Amino acid sequence: MLGISWQIRLVLVLGSLVTVAFVLRRVRQARMQIEDSIFWLLFAFFMFILSLVPQAAYWVSNVFRFQSPINVVYLAIIFILLVKQFFMSIQLSQMDSKIRALTQKVALNEEKIEREKDDL
Amino acid sequence: MAKLLIVIPAFNEQENIVRVVDDLITRYPQYDYVVINDGSRDHTAALCRRHGYRMIDLPVNLGLAGAFQTGLRYAAENGYDCALQFDADGQHRPEYIQPMLDKLEEGADIVIGSRFLTVRKPKSLRMLGSYLISWAIRLTTGQAICDPTSGMRMFNRAMLEEFSTNLNYGPEPDTISYLIKNGAVVREVQVEMGERTAGKSYLNLVRSVEYMTKMGLSILLIQWFRKRDTDSPYAERSV
Repeated sequence: MLGISWQIRLVLVLGSLVTVAFVLRRVRQARMQIEDSIFWLLFAFFMFILSLVPQAAYWVSNVFRFQSPINVVYLAIIFILLVKQFFMSIQLSQMDSKIRALTQKVALNEEKIEREKDDL
Repeated sequence: MAKLLIVIPAFNEQENIVRVVDDLITRYPQYDYVVINDGSRDHTAALCRRHGYRMIDLPVNLGLAGAFQTGLRYAAENGYDCALQFDADGQHRPEYIQPMLDKLEEGADIVIGSRFLTVRKPKSLRMLGSYLISWAIRLTTGQAICDPTSGMRMFNRAMLEEFSTNLNYGPEPDTISYLIKNGAVVREVQVEMGERTAGKSYLNLVRSVEYMTKMGLSILLIQWFRKRDTDSPYAERSV
């Protein structure tokens, strides 16, 4: 069974640190809402822990008979990103309907103003 | 006397809004108020119109932070000296507005209507979150805030300008902690609050865990990295 090499662990650690730095920079510049930064911080923390304690991946790999523990890492990341994608999809739908409602509201108000101008 | 605006964000508050606003109008006509209807799906807006209340009717739901910010923008653009965040569900009592105003005029930037300044905070599961947030604020700012989750807060002119235009200025404890760290003067005044008499509470277990995660990470980690930008578009009034 192939283990998780220290090189891969190093890449995971670096990846998580870069993620944290990038997210905090966006918050600092007031370009990202704190609500949205929470997910990325927790995600980076998860990758960080996994690279420090790869035994967790070995354990899951044993229990579910994975071919290699690194596959546990891949699958976990894919799963988390899919769930995130799902919720972002919902959020996008809601934003779409909000923009539609707003556009209609603005257009209806314009029409009302025009009509009132004609009546005068 | 300082010109105060009471900002009342309302989301699906048809059972409470009339009682709360009528009480303000009849007993405290000296204060201005504005209801921010946050895209309610019940009769909140219709009731406000029927009674002739001053209301800003948001066409889509923005959430508490967005709705409250709308009220502060209104206050900033209409020359108010200070603004009060006031719940539409009747938990906040208007008799405590005057003591809070007095405290603000003593030189505070933010005054929190606190339930636990002179009264002991109960050691219950419901208050666990409040304890944790108090502890986090104390750890990061050195100041004890007895009731960080109180929704009854008063802001002076400089604060309401800052809140009205910036991102990540929700009316929540993490913003308070951030502002204390940046030199804002935050004081508390003892108040009593009622239990909500009608309608549903927003909090459940999942939301509470979510809220605590956000507040914890925000107060303990994120606030250290924020850069404060106090440039105001309402320049003529700021000092």
